[in-house]
Amino acid sequence: MERKKLDIGLYGFTGCNGDQLVIIHSEDKLLDFFASANIRSFSLAKSDNEQTPLDIAFIEGSISSQEQVEHVQEIRQRSALLVAIGNCACYGGIQAMELGREGWDRRFQSVYGENFFEVRTPIESKPIDAFVAVDFRLPGCPIDADQFFAVYSSLIRKTKPQMPDYPVCAECRWRENECLLLKGQLCLGPLIAGGCKAVCPSHNLPCVGCFGPVEEANVSSEFALLKEKGFTVEEIRRRLRIHSGSGVLKSLKNLFGEV
Amino acid sequence: MREILVEPLARVEGDGGITIRAEGKKVHEVRFDILEGTRLVETLVIGKTPEEDVSITCRICAICTLSHRYAALRGLEKALGIEVPPKVQALRSLMHLGELLESHSLHVFLLALPDFLGYPNAVAMAEKYGPEVVQALALKKFANHVMTVTSGRMIHGENPTVGGFGKYPEKDILLDIARQAQAMIPFAEKAVGLIAGLSVPDYFEDDTVFMCCEPGDDGFGLMGDRIRISDGKVVDAKEYRTLTNEKFSPHSAAKHCLYQGKPYTVGAIARCNNLGERMNGLAGKLFKKHWNKRWLRNPVFNNLAQAIEMVWALEQVSKTVDAVLQYPDDPPIVKPTRQSGEGVGSVEAPRGTLYHAYRIQDGLVAEANLIIPTGQSLEDIEKYMRKAVEILLSQGADDSAIRLQAEIIVRAFDPCISCSTHMVRFERHDPR
Ligand code: SF4
Ligand code: SF4
Repeated sequence: MERKKLDIGLYGFTGCNGDQLVIIHSEDKLLDFFASANIRSFSLAKSDNEQTPLDIAFIEGSISSQEQVEHVQEIRQRSALLVAIGNCACYGGIQAMELGREGWDRRFQSVYGENFFEVRTPIESKPIDAFVAVDFRLPGCPIDADQFFAVYSSLIRKTKPQMPDYPVCAECRWRENECLLLKGQLCLGPLIAGGCKAVCPSHNLPCVGCFGPVEEANVSSEFALLKEKGFTVEEIRRRLRIHSGSGVLKSLKNLFGEV
Repeated sequence: MREILVEPLARVEGDGGITIRAEGKKVHEVRFDILEGTRLVETLVIGKTPEEDVSITCRICAICTLSHRYAALRGLEKALGIEVPPKVQALRSLMHLGELLESHSLHVFLLALPDFLGYPNAVAMAEKYGPEVVQALALKKFANHVMTVTSGRMIHGENPTVGGFGKYPEKDILLDIARQAQAMIPFAEKAVGLIAGLSVPDYFEDDTVFMCCEPGDDGFGLMGDRIRISDGKVVDAKEYRTLTNEKFSPHSAAKHCLYQGKPYTVGAIARCNNLGERMNGLAGKLFKKHWNKRWLRNPVFNNLAQAIEMVWALEQVSKTVDAVLQYPDDPPIVKPTRQSGEGVGSVEAPRGTLYHAYRIQDGLVAEANLIIPTGQSLEDIEKYMRKAVEILLSQGADDSAIRLQAEIIVRAFDPCISCSTHMVRFERHDPR
C-alpha cells in the first residue's frame, strides 16, 4: 500500500537563506524531494504557497522582528513537527554571537541612528527555540546537503534521524589529516559537531565552528584541551561564540561564570 | 486611497516588497521596501581577527558569498600590507567567475525568463522549453561546481583566506572545468538570442548614472581599485563615501545611496554600459550586436546584460584556468607585513559594486563599513517604478497591470532573488 504523502513546508527567517539554497542546488535530488511529499510552501522555489496544516515545517533563519515572532508561532500551531535547519535557526547564527551580553540597542543605533522602521519592529536576533518548541535541529552554516536528505527521509518514514555524536576532529582523523593544533593553529574541531566531513582542516585551514557545539557536556573538557595547547580563554571563547550563538551559553556560564 | 502591495515572504537574500499608494491618478507613494531582519554585521566584526571577519561577512549572502569574501580579503590585505602572488589572484578570479555564472543563471533562466514568457515558474516553462530549462540547470550546476572546487564548499567555503588559499585544486579538475565551460558557450549564446527577442517597454525610460569597478587593464572585468562612473569620472575606491552617500530610509532595513544627490545604478547593465565595448571574443560580438542607446535609460536591459556577461564569463573561464596552471608551485599563505592599517576592497558582485572598508588596529578589526550593491540601486528602482506607475495610472490601468510592470522593473534589477520568487498580496481600499 502506498504511504500517504506528508504535507511539508519550508520557511526562511533572518539569515542568508543558504540552507534553502543548499536544497535548491541539489538538482539531482530536488525532483525526488518534490515528488516525495506535498510541498505546501517553499517560497524560495515556488510561488503558489499555501497556509495549511503541516506534518513537518522546516525553518531556517533566526527571529529578529516582532512580526517574525508572530509568524513562527503561527507556523508552529499548524505543524506536527518543527525542524530547525541551519545555525541561524538552531543557535541564532552569527547575528546571535553577542547573545547574553548587553549592548544590542547600542549596536542597533550605531548602524541605524535614531531612525525607526515603519514596516517592521526589530528585536535582538534569537534562535527559533527562544519562541516556540523545536522538535529537531539540523545545524550547519550552511547545512550539509547529504545530512539534510538523510534526516528528511527518516522523518518522512517517521523514524528518528541519526545525527553525528562525534566532533569535527573525528571526521578529520578519518581523513588522515595532519592535526592543525600541532602546527599551532587554533582549530575548533574538538568543540564542534561533526557532519561537514571536516572540510576546513582538509583544506589545511582551522575549523571556525560553523556547525555549532558538540554536546554541551563535552565543551568543558575540550575547552581545557585547547587551553593546554597554549591558546587563551579569550581567543577560544571569541572564536567559539562567532557561530555557536545560544548553543554555548550554558557551558560558558558554567566554565567562567559569564558568557 | 488605492493601495497595491506586493509583499514576498520568504527570500533568498532577505525580505522585500513593493508598496504603491495612489488617489485617483495622483501617485502618493511608490516604495521598494526592504523588510529583511537586521543582523548588524558591521558591529559584530569589531574586535575580531581579519580571518574571523572573512568568515563572518561572507555569511551576509549565500548567493554572493564569494564576492563578500573577495571584497573583505582585498580590503583586509590592503590594511595589513599583504600582496598576494599571481596564482592566488588567478584562482580568485576563477571563483569569482563561478559565482557570477551561478547568480546570473539563477536570475536569468529561473526567475526573469518565466515572467517574460508568461509562466508562473521554471518548472511550468519546461513543458515548452524543456531542453532550455535542462541546459540552464546544467549551467547553474557547473557554476556551483566551480565555486565548490575553488572555495571548498558550495556555500560559505573557507578555502580562500587572508593571504591566499588553504589548498589548490588539482590540475585535472581545473582542466575539466575549462572544457565544460567551453561546451556551454553555444547554449549561453542561444540564451542571449532568446532574451534579446523579448520586447522591452519604453514608456518609463529615463536618464541615470552607472557605476562599476574599473579593471584598469583596458579589458572587461569584475574587480578594480578605482570606480568608473558614466559621467566620465574615475575615482579611487578609497573615496567610496563620496560616491555612495548612504542615507537611512524609514521603510528599508538597507540604507539607500545617492551620487551627487542623484540615484544611480550598479550591476551587469552598469558594467556593460561603462565597459562593454572592451569585451572581445563572442561576448564582444554579441554586445555590439545587441547594445543600443536605450540601455542607458532602461533597467530592463539588465537581463540581456547578464546574459551577455554569462557568455563573457564562460569564455573567460578557460583563460583563467590557464593562468592558474601557468604557475606549477602552490604559493604558501602570505603573512601580514603590519598589524595596523586601513583598506578598502571593491569588487563587482553579480549585482554590482561591493565595498568592504576596514581599519585594523593591533591585529583586530577596529572599524568596518560594508556597502552592498542592492542599496546603491534602490533609489533608481523606486525612480523607474514611480515613473511607470504614474504613466499607467494616467492611462487608467488596473491593479494587476500596474503590479506586473512594477515587479518586472524591480526584478530586472535583480535586487535579490527574494524579490523574484514571491507571493503577491493585494490590498485595495475604496476611496472614502
Ligand atoms: S585539525 Fe582540527 S579538526 Fe582536525 S584533528 Fe586537529 S583539532 Fe581536530
Ligand atoms: S570544519 Fe568547521 S568551520 Fe569548516 S565546515 Fe566543518 S564545522 Fe564548519
